[in-house]
Amino acid sequence: MMIRVRDLVMRLESGGRPVTILDGVSLDVAAGEVVAVTGPSGSGKSTLLGLIAGLDTPSGGSIAVDGVDVTALGEAELARFRRRTIGFVFQSYHLIPTLTAAENVAVPLELASAAEPLPTAARLLGEVGLAERAHHYPAQLSGGEQQRVAIARAVALSPPLLLADEPTGNLDSTTGGAIVDLLLALNRERGSTLLLVTHDAALAGRAARAVALRDGRVVNGHHRA
Amino acid sequence: MSRVALRLARRQARGGRRHLTALFACVALGVGALVAVGTLGAGLESTLAREAKALLGGDVELRAARPLPDDAEAALARLERSGARVVRVRELVGMARTMAGGGSVLVELKTPTAGYPLYGALSTAPAAPLATLLDDEGAVVQRELLDRLGLAVGDRLTIGEATLTIRGVVEAEPDRAASLVRLGPRVFLSPAALEHAGLVAFGSRVRYRVLVRLPPGLAAGDTRARLTRDIADPGVRVAAYDEAQPGLRRFFSQLTSYLGLVGLASLLVGGIGVATSVSAFVARQVPSIAALKALGAETRTLVATYVIQTQVVALLASLVGAGLGLAVQPVLTAALAGLVPFALEPKPEPWTIGRAIVMGLATTLLCTWAPLAAVRAVPAWLLLRRDVEPAARGRGVRTLLPVTVGLAALALWQAGSLKIGGIFVGASLAALLALLALARGLTALARRLPRARGLAWRHGLAALQRPGGHAPRVVVALGVAVMLLVTVALLEGVLGRQIDYEQRREAPSFFFLDVQTDQVEDFARLAERTGGSRPVFTPVVRARLAAVDGARVTREVVERRRARDEDGRWFFTREYALTWAEAPPAGTVLTAGTWWTPAQGHARALASIEESAARHLGVRPGSRLTFDVQGVAIDVEITGVRRVDWQNLTTNFFFVLSPAALAGAPATWVATTRVAGEREAALQNAVVAAFPNVTAIPLRDVLERVAAVLGDIAVAVRLVALFTLGAGVVVMAGALAATRSQRLYESVVLRTLGATRGLVARAFAVEYGLLGAAAGVGGTVLATVLAWAVVRWVLDAPWSFDPTPLLIGLAATVALALAVGFLVTFRLLGQKPLPVLRRE
Repeated sequence: MMIRVRDLVMRLESGGRPVTILDGVSLDVAAGEVVAVTGPSGSGKSTLLGLIAGLDTPSGGSIAVDGVDVTALGEAELARFRRRTIGFVFQSYHLIPTLTAAENVAVPLELASAAEPLPTAARLLGEVGLAERAHHYPAQLSGGEQQRVAIARAVALSPPLLLADEPTGNLDSTTGGAIVDLLLALNRERGSTLLLVTHDAALAGRAARAVALRDGRVVNGHHRA
Repeated sequence: MSRVALRLARRQARGGRRHLTALFACVALGVGALVAVGTLGAGLESTLAREAKALLGGDVELRAARPLPDDAEAALARLERSGARVVRVRELVGMARTMAGGGSVLVELKTPTAGYPLYGALSTAPAAPLATLLDDEGAVVQRELLDRLGLAVGDRLTIGEATLTIRGVVEAEPDRAASLVRLGPRVFLSPAALEHAGLVAFGSRVRYRVLVRLPPGLAAGDTRARLTRDIADPGVRVAAYDEAQPGLRRFFSQLTSYLGLVGLASLLVGGIGVATSVSAFVARQVPSIAALKALGAETRTLVATYVIQTQVVALLASLVGAGLGLAVQPVLTAALAGLVPFALEPKPEPWTIGRAIVMGLATTLLCTWAPLAAVRAVPAWLLLRRDVEPAARGRGVRTLLPVTVGLAALALWQAGSLKIGGIFVGASLAALLALLALARGLTALARRLPRARGLAWRHGLAALQRPGGHAPRVVVALGVAVMLLVTVALLEGVLGRQIDYEQRREAPSFFFLDVQTDQVEDFARLAERTGGSRPVFTPVVRARLAAVDGARVTREVVERRRARDEDGRWFFTREYALTWAEAPPAGTVLTAGTWWTPAQGHARALASIEESAARHLGVRPGSRLTFDVQGVAIDVEITGVRRVDWQNLTTNFFFVLSPAALAGAPATWVATTRVAGEREAALQNAVVAAFPNVTAIPLRDVLERVAAVLGDIAVAVRLVALFTLGAGVVVMAGALAATRSQRLYESVVLRTLGATRGLVARAFAVEYGLLGAAAGVGGTVLATVLAWAVVRWVLDAPWSFDPTPLLIGLAATVALALAVGFLVTFRLLGQKPLPVLRRE
């Protein structure tokens, strides 16, 4: 099992009163599976993704990723865990504005002390169709191009688990479609597990399985052929 | 890991040019101030060391207020036999006057024997051996004397009873007594001419100096030790060249120490700029930091990234600052040139520069501590929930305490003294808290104030409470700079009024020294006839201390003292001017004991002693002192201790004796008189012509010389304080730049709603003006407190207050704040609203 979530609870303070964002979520995702998490805005999708990535600590429950208890890791271990295990694609790309496209892709390679980070980054940009744009800064790229850079960055270390948070949310439908094609193709090539959060039904439809959240609970989760 | 941090540091710097520029400027100014002061101090120190023999006049110097005793002459003869060269010099003050009976000037006379100078060069115009120029009633004088008397080389002048021909001008004199204030221009004359002048008479103050140049093989220290053994009289002071001019050395070391603190203040103000700019830089980088954390970057790596970045910039800035500090040397040395008896060469020392650079780096590290704590606190989940503000960290006691302790340690290191450093740290903390409280008060007041009528006022006041709190930083940084500059101005004012002759109505115009008893009546008549007030005559008997409570003052006693208390030694060996009086002088404050009744005063030998002399000599009422008056021992009993206001510009004495104590002692008289300004020269000239042995000390003249010295010092301090002002300006510019995007957005929204550019500009003006006013008020109030404390405890002078520097300081601060504010933000006014709104 790649992901094993049990009874996950997340409560936060908002405006001085507690708000329950996740209320006992359990979820299993097998290695190599492509799963979409759907649900309306505020249903807790992104929070679920962030907790799986170890970006925050849950109020209760357990998360195991590739056999590792994420909630038990310390700050430095979490950083290493993310580096080795997880690739992340965000809705608003979160490229570092002061780095060129190639340098952005090179960051995880450099953090992992990989050999020749910049040539590798250039090759990865070629794979996402941006070979010509390697030396451009994020501000000089379109939204779709920025998201391709973010995807190249996410797969740079070939992580076993790819997490995508509304990867098409800021893009028009044509560009979004192309991004989804790219994400699925790369995932297939690398044999990684893909968990993507979306409220776009068309995108969710391309996953093997969709899990719907509402008010912090799983309302259904069904397999498709 | 560190390689990653290095690479990130290089790349992340791209987005922070503006913030890192502010950091750069702040550190460069702070280090510049420290290097400027340090190099000046090192230059003074090394020049004093290099010129030590020339300054002393020889390897060893004997100095006494009376002709040397026999044992001293015998010791000198032995030295001469072993190959030493000896030059004798007599120095005293006297009056030089023109032949025509016109002008007269107080001069410092000097008669060296052949061979002078032993070290260094005496430069004269025309260049000729001094002995040749002085031969046959010749004189060599400073140009100032020629200018003041309207004379030229070749003319004749009169000194005492002697008429001399001016044969040349002295341009440089290696051992000119390095007291800061000189009484008058130098006149060299031959020993024979001095005898003819008849000034070396009973009661005159002659300094007898013997300069010795030792043959190779004789060490100065050993010779000094042998001479102190051989010469019993402690009144003969023996000095080796390596301890020359202790007073001058102490003055310069204190001056550079205080200047160093002013320099440190600019580094600390720069530290505020460092903290502000790095804080703004990190705030901008928060999304990138969160992204990097999400990508697996460890917090350690990220903190290392920013530490490397800021330290590299600080290092470059320190190097540039060091260059700046060296570049201002000519200005600083020019300011102090008048105070130093030799050519001052700045000495760039690796140690001084290295220390300043370490200070710059350490201050940067400490001041980036809190902002970098914020890097630790950036949560990776920020990428998912941008609407949630992460809890602010880095302001707690646990963050600020090590920073405060670190900065205090740096201050102690710079001050080089626990006491001065401690006072500096305490004063800085107090100033900081006061200015912070003022800034808080200003923002709180802005919130509570009833809604202002004008739109510009309303928005300007609202802007003071802008989130991010730029107001406290601006007020503190500018306030400290204003405080330093206004303090200098206030101190100048206090001291200036203290020595402003015109304001000292009670002060005499002249002190006339050495009036003989048989001249008193004629002198009084002449003074009154020439427009002076009736002179007040005070008797003076010159004496030395021979015994304290029956214990003889021997060289052994004095040398033992010397180890503990340099000043104390002086009280045992100096030549005292004693006076007698029946009633206590006006304004006498007795701190212990009593004053004698007229009957007691005429019956018994009693004495009243000044309190510092009593402390150093270790005596109190009931103690017995023995004075040596021209070989006659006079025993007195101390009945009281007095406090003397040495700045009251009248004749003051360490010892006042009862009339019985000095009955029959050989006395001369000091006459004081006040005369209208335009009659001063006439009175002086008439007295000098009629009584060639009398020396006239014009108070106005002396006070003007003191004022010139103070002026030079003030220029140097102000120059260093300007670094602080520069740092303050950078801090303000940085703080305003940090709020640039908010400011832009607000101004654009206002203009979208129909506000004119003029209205937005006026709102800015209200904000900047109020910031400047707060900094100005805080800085000037603190300056008043600081100046008062310095006057009270350091200068020990009476406090007087003139609000002019405060008003000028306040107005200048408001003007400066407006200027800096508009320079930083005027371009915002020209921005078109739509593109800005689209970006938001």
